[in-house]
Amino acid sequence: MAVKLNQSEQVLLETLQKTGADKLAADFAKVGLPTRRNEAYHYSDLKMLLGDVPALTTGAISTSALLLNIEGAYRILIVNGEVQISDEPPAGMVVSTSKGGVVEPENDIIAKLNSALTKETLNIDLQGSLETIIHIDRRYEGEASHINDGVELYILDNSNATIIETFSGSNEAHLSNSASKVILGKDAKVTHIMVDLSGDRVRHLQSVQYELNESALLHSLIIHKGSALARTQLFAKFIGENAHADFAGLILGNNEQHSDISINIEHNVANTTSSENYKSVVLDRAKAIFQGKILVAKDAQKTDAAMKHQGLMLSDDAQILVKPELEIYADDVICGHGATCGQIDEDSLFYLMSRGIEREQAKSMLIRAFLAELFDEVKIEALKEALISVADEWLEA
Amino acid sequence: MSNMLEVKNLHVKVEDKEILKGVNLTIPKGETHAVMGRNGSGKSTLSYVMAGKEGYEITKGEILLDGENILELEPNERAVKGLFLAFQYPIEIPGVATMTFLKAAMNAQRKARGEEELLTPDFMREVKSAAKMLEIDSAMLKRALNVGFSGGEKKRAEILQMALLKPKMCVFDETDSGLDIDALKIVSEGVNALRDANRSMLVITHYQRLLNYIVPDVVHVFSNGRIVKSGDKSLALELEKHGYAQYDEST
Ligand SMILES: Nc1ncnc2c1ncn2[C@@H]1O[C@H](COP(=O)(O)OP(=O)(O)OP(=O)(O)O)[C@@H](O)[C@H]1O
Ligand SMILES: [Mg+2]
Repeated sequence: MAVKLNQSEQVLLETLQKTGADKLAADFAKVGLPTRRNEAYHYSDLKMLLGDVPALTTGAISTSALLLNIEGAYRILIVNGEVQISDEPPAGMVVSTSKGGVVEPENDIIAKLNSALTKETLNIDLQGSLETIIHIDRRYEGEASHINDGVELYILDNSNATIIETFSGSNEAHLSNSASKVILGKDAKVTHIMVDLSGDRVRHLQSVQYELNESALLHSLIIHKGSALARTQLFAKFIGENAHADFAGLILGNNEQHSDISINIEHNVANTTSSENYKSVVLDRAKAIFQGKILVAKDAQKTDAAMKHQGLMLSDDAQILVKPELEIYADDVICGHGATCGQIDEDSLFYLMSRGIEREQAKSMLIRAFLAELFDEVKIEALKEALISVADEWLEA
Repeated sequence: MSNMLEVKNLHVKVEDKEILKGVNLTIPKGETHAVMGRNGSGKSTLSYVMAGKEGYEITKGEILLDGENILELEPNERAVKGLFLAFQYPIEIPGVATMTFLKAAMNAQRKARGEEELLTPDFMREVKSAAKMLEIDSAMLKRALNVGFSGGEKKRAEILQMALLKPKMCVFDETDSGLDIDALKIVSEGVNALRDANRSMLVITHYQRLLNYIVPDVVHVFSNGRIVKSGDKSLALELEKHGYAQYDEST
C-alpha cells in the first residue's frame, strides 16, 4: 500500500518523473521519504524535517567565497552539479566526468535520488603517491535550488592520496544531495575529509561509500558545521583482508540545527580492523545525532572494531542522540562501543579561571581541547590548521 | 592598608553541611603564615572559597584582599587582583598545551592591567628562566597541562605558574606533599625567592619540615572549621610532638 505523499514528496516525485527516472519514480511513489519508522532515519525523519523542495537547478555561476583555502591543493569546483576542471591535474591523476550518478549504496532512497538526479559525476583515478592535496570544492550557488552531485575516486593499488571535500555556497534554502564513492585498491592509503560549510538555511544530504581492498588504509573524517539540516550517511565495506580504517567525525551544532552522522561499517572478510571516533558539540537548541552500525560477517574472523561517541552539551536545550549497533555473526572478534556525554568540566574551568583566564576564553580552551584529538589525527599540517580554523570560527561565532 | 588578607568570621556550607565555622585570619603585607590541621578540618575548603570556586554557600563573613571584599568576584577577577592558589590536587587538562595555558594566563592578567600582550620571545624567555630555577624539564612543558606529570612535577608546575604570574597573595595547599627532599628544597627556594615586603603567603601543610625551609611568621592551628590557636613557628614543633588532640573541641 502506498503512503500518502506530502508536498515535498510530491515535488520530488514530479522531479523524478520529469527527468525520466520512471522506475525510481514508481518506487518513490510507494514509499516516499524515509520516516522515523525507518531505523536508519530514526532520529532524522526526513518526511517531517526536509521542508520545501525547490526546483532542480538549471546551473549557476560560483560567486560565494572560498571558505577553506588549502595552500597548494589541486582544486576542482563542482558548481550546482556541474564539474569545472580548470587546471591541469598533477601527474598520476586522471580527471574525467561521466554522465549520471554512480553512487547507489544499499537500498537507500536518498542515495537513489542522488543517483537518478545527478547529471554528471566527477571521476578521479589516481596512481602513485600524490603529495598534492585534492580539494573537491562543491558549491551550491544562486537562488534556492535542488542540487545533486557526485564524485567517484579510485585510488589504485599501492597509491596514496589526501582528499578534502567542502560544501558551501550561497545562503539560500538549497536542497543539496551529494554523493562520494571512494575505492581503495590494494595497499592504498587514503585520507578523505568532508566539511559541510553550507549556509544556515541549506538542507544538505550526503552519502559516502567506501570500499577497502586488501591492506588498504583509510582515514575518514566528516565535519558538520553548516546547514539547517545536515545528514551524512556513510557506508563502508571491507572487502580485502588486513585493511584498516579510522572513521572519525565531528558535529558542531548551534541554533536550531539538526545534524546527523550515520555510519554503516561492514567487515566482510577476516583480519580487518577499524576505529570509529565521533564527537558532537552542541549549543542553543541544536540536535546532534550519531548512529553507528558495525556489521561483522560470518567469515570475518579476527575483526577488531572500537566505536566511540563523545558529546559535549553547552546548553540545556541542546540534544545529543546516539545509537550504536553491533551486528556480529563471527565468533572470534573484538568489537566494542562506548558513549559519553557531558558538559564542560567545572573543575577544569575553575582551574583555568583561577589563573586569570576569563570564563569565555577558558570555556573555548576546553572545547578546543575536547576537539584536539580529532584534529591531531590529521597528519598534514596545512590541512590540520585549516580544520582547526573551521572549529575556531564556529567557537568565536 | 597594611593587611594583605583578612578573613572575617567566615562561615561556609557545602551541601547543607557547615564546613567553615567562623574562620578569622589576618595576614599583614609581607608576612608568611602557616596553617596546620587535621585531615578534613576544612583547610582546602578555605583555600577554594578564597579562590572563588563554585559550590560553596557562604552564609556569613567576608574575605578582604588588600582591603577589598572579593567574595562577589569571579575566580579570574580575583587572580587578576593578585590572588594565587597552588592546588592540593592540580587538575589535568588533556588537549590544553601547557605553554598555551601559561601564555593565556599571563596575557589575561596583563590585559586586565591594561598592558600589551607578551611577545612570544619574551614569554619563552620568562618561562625558561622560571623553569630553570625550579629545575623543570622543558620536555614537561611540551605536554598537555598536568597530564602525565608525576605528583611532584604537578606541584612544581604550580610554583612555576606562581613565579610567572607574580601574585601578591599566594596560597599553597599542601604543596609539599608528594615532593621528594630535593624537590622540597627547590620549591621552597622558588617560594622564598618571591618573598618580599609587598607579598604575603599562606602555607597549608601537614609537615613541620616544610616550615624549616619556608619559615613562617605565624602558625595557625585549624580545627573543625576554624582557627583555634595561633603562635610563632615553635607552635609547629609543638604540634608535631603532641598532635591535634588537645585542640579538638568537646562541643
Ligand atoms: N564538595 C563537597 N561535598 C561534600 N563534602 C565536602 C565537599 N568538599 C569538602 N567536603 C567536606 O568538607 C570537609 C573539609 O574538607 P577539606 O578538603 O577542606 O579538608 P582539608 O582540611 O583540606 O583536609 P586534608 O588535610 O585531608 O586536605 C571534609 O569533611 C570534606 O569531606
Ligand atoms: Mg586539603
